[in-house]
Amino acid sequence: MSKLKITIAVTGLNNTDNPGPGVPVIRSLKESSVFDVRIIGLVYETLEPGIYMEGLCDKIFLIPYPSAGSDELIDRIEEIHNREPINVLIPNFDAELFSFMKNEERLLKIGIHTFLPTMQQFQERDKDKLAEYGLKYGIKVPTSINLGSQSQIHEIKEKMDYPVMVKGQFYDAYMANNAEQVKQAFNKISAKWGLPVIIQEFVKGTEVNVIALGDGLGNTISAVPMRKQYITDKGKAWGGITLSDHHMLEITRRLIRQTHWKGGMELELIKTPRGEFYLIEINPRIPAWVYLAVGAGQNIPEALVKLALGHEVTPMESYSSGKMFVRYSYDIIVDLEKFETIAMNGEI
Amino acid sequence: MKITDEIRISDNGFVFNSKTGDSFNINPTGLELTKLIALDSDFDDIKEIFLEKYDLDDLTFENDFYEFCALLKHNQITVQEDPLDFK
Repeated sequence: MSKLKITIAVTGLNNTDNPGPGVPVIRSLKESSVFDVRIIGLVYETLEPGIYMEGLCDKIFLIPYPSAGSDELIDRIEEIHNREPINVLIPNFDAELFSFMKNEERLLKIGIHTFLPTMQQFQERDKDKLAEYGLKYGIKVPTSINLGSQSQIHEIKEKMDYPVMVKGQFYDAYMANNAEQVKQAFNKISAKWGLPVIIQEFVKGTEVNVIALGDGLGNTISAVPMRKQYITDKGKAWGGITLSDHHMLEITRRLIRQTHWKGGMELELIKTPRGEFYLIEINPRIPAWVYLAVGAGQNIPEALVKLALGHEVTPMESYSSGKMFVRYSYDIIVDLEKFETIAMNGEI
Repeated sequence: MKITDEIRISDNGFVFNSKTGDSFNINPTGLELTKLIALDSDFDDIKEIFLEKYDLDDLTFENDFYEFCALLKHNQITVQEDPLDFK
């Protein structure tokens, strides 16, 4: 059977020590058994490593940060689409999702398909609303406080014991053992990610994650649990292993059934020594370790593209447990002309 | 006492718990013991095998056996509904 030729635009080519999911998403798509993909890389910075990786993207375009305004970003996507028609767009950053979700219909009108959570699904899982989320869907979450200013720091000890986790709305998390450390983390995080800064009770246990894909109708198309085996100082997995844990799968399926989650997601959970699970975060997109799920038998990006195009997708039930991934860093030697082209022309 | 379904034991002594992601290395004697437990062998049968094969007395075997079993349980390699069940 010949493969369907399609063009897919992907963001998140920043394969740094805090990697975006773009490169593994592209790698997964290139291994698709049903699609013959042409990849358009969309980058925010001229030094995103994915730009320089041979054989990864067929074409690369610089796009403006969503902070410059949604219209500016979508106008640029339209401009790119006029030259290189895009069938499916897979955004991979939390911070850009809002703009793409807001403009989902505008993109579809010109033939660009996406498969993103709804605005309600996206907003109700915001880190600063996790307590309400836990209550609504019957899932354990750590106690939290949203700090709008430093003057609220004294409230922490009334509600929880130290240490606590100090988190930004989108990224960053620091452990703090006292009010002084909270203050330092608050300043760092608020300067970078704005307010509120979230204080979360520290739940002792093992951090485990589930990558999943919901079809928007309540069905779980894919779910693979993983435990980080090697964690960087930024808290990112540098090595991980797939688990066979029915409880984690059940939590994921129940949540997708209840919320009718549409698109890729990552559940971050803490498993306590007593075997209880606390939900600490939901990332509303495919995580950077997606290729582990592909290696374990579930090609999530391929399934997401099928869903975006309205194809029928059968839920994937099996995967190999005990599959591992180990990341590595690699120096690519780049000619100045390549850097010059992307920097000056905004495309390559 | 039962070795859980999620446990994989390799012949070289590598034990992997696919539920927790933990892995362990056990020495050849530990492997022999673990395999006998996995086969649901009776405590008395295991003792007989070990006393015959190794130069050790009853008391030492029992002491080491219970210690090893506690270690297996602590690391979620075995489940033991009845704390006195060492079958």
